[in-house]
Amino acid sequence: MPTINLNKWILQDLTRLNEQELVDYLFRLKSEVSPVNQDEYSIEVNADRLDMLSLGGIVRALKGITGRELGEPKYTVRDTDYVLEVERVPSRPYALACIVYNVKLNPDLYLKELIQFQEKLHDTIGRRRKKVAIGIHDLQKVEGKVIRYAPVPLSTTFVPLYQEKEMSVKDVLQETPQGKQYGNISVWDNYSPAIMDEKGILSVPPVINSDRTRITENTRSLLIDVTGTNFDSVVETMDLLVTGLAELGGIIGRIKVKGMNVETSPVLRHTLVPFSLEDVNRRLGINVSKDEAVTLIRRMRMEVETGDGLAVVVPPYRVDIMNYTDVAEDIAMAYGYDRFTLESRRGMVTGSLSEKSEIYRKLRTLLIGAGFQEIYTLVLTKSDYQRGEVVRIANPISVEYDSVRNSLLWNSLLFLSNNQHSRFPVKIFEIGEVVRRDESKDTNYANATRLAVAIMDSKVSYEILQSPLHQVLLNLLGIAPSYRRVDNDILMRGRSAEIILRDERVGVIGEANPEILRSFNLLYPVLLAELDLDALRRVI
Amino acid sequence: MLSENELKILDFLRKRKESTSQEIGEATGLPPSSVFSIIATLESKGIVKVISEETRRVARLTEEGKLRAEQGLPEDRLVSTLNGKPAKIQELKSVLGKDFEIGFGWARRKGLIIVENDTVIPKVSSHVSPEYIALKDLQAGKEIEREMLDSLVKRKLVEVKEEKVLKVQLVKDVEVRPAELYLTHEMLTTGSWKNYEFKPYNVEADPPFFPIGKTHYFRDFIEKVKDLMVGLGFVEVSGEFVETEFFNFDMLFQPQDHPAREIHDSFVIEGRGKLPDGDLVKKVKEIHEKWWRYSWSEDNARRLVLRSQTTAVTARVLSGAPRAIRAFTIGKVFRPDSIDATHLIEFHQMDGLVVEENFTFRDLLSTLRDIFQGLGVKQVKFKPGYFPFTEPSVEVYGFIDGLGWVEMAGAGLLRKEVTEPAGVYSPAGAWGIGIDRLAMLFLGVKDIRDLYSLDIEYLRSRRVI
Repeated sequence: MPTINLNKWILQDLTRLNEQELVDYLFRLKSEVSPVNQDEYSIEVNADRLDMLSLGGIVRALKGITGRELGEPKYTVRDTDYVLEVERVPSRPYALACIVYNVKLNPDLYLKELIQFQEKLHDTIGRRRKKVAIGIHDLQKVEGKVIRYAPVPLSTTFVPLYQEKEMSVKDVLQETPQGKQYGNISVWDNYSPAIMDEKGILSVPPVINSDRTRITENTRSLLIDVTGTNFDSVVETMDLLVTGLAELGGIIGRIKVKGMNVETSPVLRHTLVPFSLEDVNRRLGINVSKDEAVTLIRRMRMEVETGDGLAVVVPPYRVDIMNYTDVAEDIAMAYGYDRFTLESRRGMVTGSLSEKSEIYRKLRTLLIGAGFQEIYTLVLTKSDYQRGEVVRIANPISVEYDSVRNSLLWNSLLFLSNNQHSRFPVKIFEIGEVVRRDESKDTNYANATRLAVAIMDSKVSYEILQSPLHQVLLNLLGIAPSYRRVDNDILMRGRSAEIILRDERVGVIGEANPEILRSFNLLYPVLLAELDLDALRRVI
Repeated sequence: MLSENELKILDFLRKRKESTSQEIGEATGLPPSSVFSIIATLESKGIVKVISEETRRVARLTEEGKLRAEQGLPEDRLVSTLNGKPAKIQELKSVLGKDFEIGFGWARRKGLIIVENDTVIPKVSSHVSPEYIALKDLQAGKEIEREMLDSLVKRKLVEVKEEKVLKVQLVKDVEVRPAELYLTHEMLTTGSWKNYEFKPYNVEADPPFFPIGKTHYFRDFIEKVKDLMVGLGFVEVSGEFVETEFFNFDMLFQPQDHPAREIHDSFVIEGRGKLPDGDLVKKVKEIHEKWWRYSWSEDNARRLVLRSQTTAVTARVLSGAPRAIRAFTIGKVFRPDSIDATHLIEFHQMDGLVVEENFTFRDLLSTLRDIFQGLGVKQVKFKPGYFPFTEPSVEVYGFIDGLGWVEMAGAGLLRKEVTEPAGVYSPAGAWGIGIDRLAMLFLGVKDIRDLYSLDIEYLRSRRVI
């Protein structure tokens, strides 16, 4: 979940809410407030509410939920004589620009907040600048009224942000930190996209701006460019930015656009989402009247058309509203999740355990009766411990957990190895899932349920494991298992057998061979058995 | 019932009828203090009677006295070593060791030897000192002369002590049966158990270790959750650890370019899986491209991961187009993370799904409250939330004493974008609950790794209540 930091005093001043009220109301808006220090809050915003990644957006939402302002705010929009000319940029085809006057960036807390908003949009809707990137400039430092978005050769030079000398775009991509991180996103055939004014480059999306038009706390008017690989996302990002600034007093300056499928920018897109009150009430399980519903939606800073049917007029900043279910959620939030009357739904139908769980419980009761301690170990393990075909993780975080277990025996041996100084005998069992290759599955892998039983003591003999396990199986199934001598690469030659139930091989039993013991640093003899519970279930 | 030592004394008194504590001690080999205490016990049982009690001076051999009575006095040993012939002092020292000095002194004093330069010349060929005979007499309980006694005391071969002597008499003989340790089948069959005394056990001693079998405490918690869900009318279902991204993400309306789908957020398994037949894949592709505005890749959907959420199981259930169902699953999910006291790279989730014709958000909140009440969380509150596949969405917070409000679950009504491609047209609610964190709260576990402890003594030490 994205988190933003906001100045406590500015937020309290703009909303006229104290700390507890802020915590409570923001909770109802999916957000969580925690103080960072005496001047700052950290606010966790949910990923769908991109509008709340800014101070302006949070203030707007709070004014609504507290009922102080309803519906969509009327932001001032003024036409300007600036023009954006968009040329063909195959790697990053979409661009918009606009102007915002009367911006407050002083004290620099506001400036920091704007840059934070820009970065949060980059990370969310912008998909780390791949899909959308934003450039913000000081309008006063922009030369001329024509802004161009066009490819430039990598040899083109400009002074990038916070650098002192001219650099070629190529050098910027190779030498600056931003260049290294984002440089290869939109470059093709020795060309890079660029936003330019009469004098030269303003920004090289999605990498870096020019130093010439850098914004400072004294900046009053902004030129904003947004570029990207998806037109709608570019429109939405621009709308989110300018409405956030307008909420804090900015005046939106609309410019003409050439070469895109819109005439002007920002688009300030409104969409209509029709809904029926009945559907909403039925989804939520409440019963609000039409008037109530309209008020609740307006509290969420949206307008409602009440003609033939109801429709939400989704404002430019609510890019998360898709259909009536989203409307239902907003109504529920404004209504208050705490106001829903809860009724117990216990006992309306009967449930059941899975067959796996049923067998698990019966088997473990018998094993406990036979004096074995149940253990529970991790599914991920070290591939070095395992034998046979191992399911490896392609991107492990450590060699200790670089594979999925294909048997429970490795876990049992590891457990015993860890308990050589405990009180003897150590008698353990585990019932759990392992993963095996299985071509019949759509993933080519399948879980298998296994039982592992083990005994470690200063001296052991085959029967001290065989005899209790025999009774466990006999009691579980009413069938006495038989044993067939077989050699196995982890058990001692001549001391291991297959366990057979009704001609089906269901497991192995025997004494661990010294080699495997040593590989687990085990210095005491161990008896082991492993059963395939899926095979066991087939026998029943 | 008499003890072994009581029986010894009783046996002795049977032959003598009357005796002293001193004689009893000598006959039974019991130290005087035991003899006195056993006599007192026997008297309290009315078996013996103490006739008189007096203090006597008793002469007893010291440890050295006992040794001399056995080996002979050092001067006698010196004489017998010489065997009538002169010998060098050095030689004698090496034979007699420490005793040479004592024997040499006494032998000269008694005139048994003379010394010339470094040679000892015997005056007699053999000698038995009267002190030796006196020691033997004392051992045999005979009286010896006063003078002799004094000289033996001086030589520290004998000490004289004042001792309490009890004169006791057997007043009542008891029938004494042989003592046995085990009651046997044989004894019970033949009735011979009546003839035996059974030795008492040391019933108050701490017992030796016994390894009992015990269920694993964390699995008990998981089984409790299953019981709760079954009680609420849910059917248990299960899924696989290796899953296609299609069921882990795509079907849940998580776009392929979403940050949560980046490679470092799930464990990747090499290879590709197969996508389900029918319209489902086509519809998922359409809905993704319409809402998330990108080109949906079938190859990405076929990638294999270790499931990062049990909602993948819910997605599988949905793909079977159930008309109505209440299902739950509880199992492991896997996410790369750094491992510490509160984070592991695998943990359990419990996912639930309700598909019912008239299911509402209010019903979902009610169900969640039922679940948490069943788990023992008395107070819950609901916070609006966001998950790509649900709308409305909710996060459940539970109140835990000492901790306050703790986030416990994410839930919501499934989006039509999720249900309709699968052919589910009734409302559906779903949730996911992190089980490990909840278990830690209820089981008093501070370190998540203890839930999967490899230490058997830790498991043995955990109390069950």
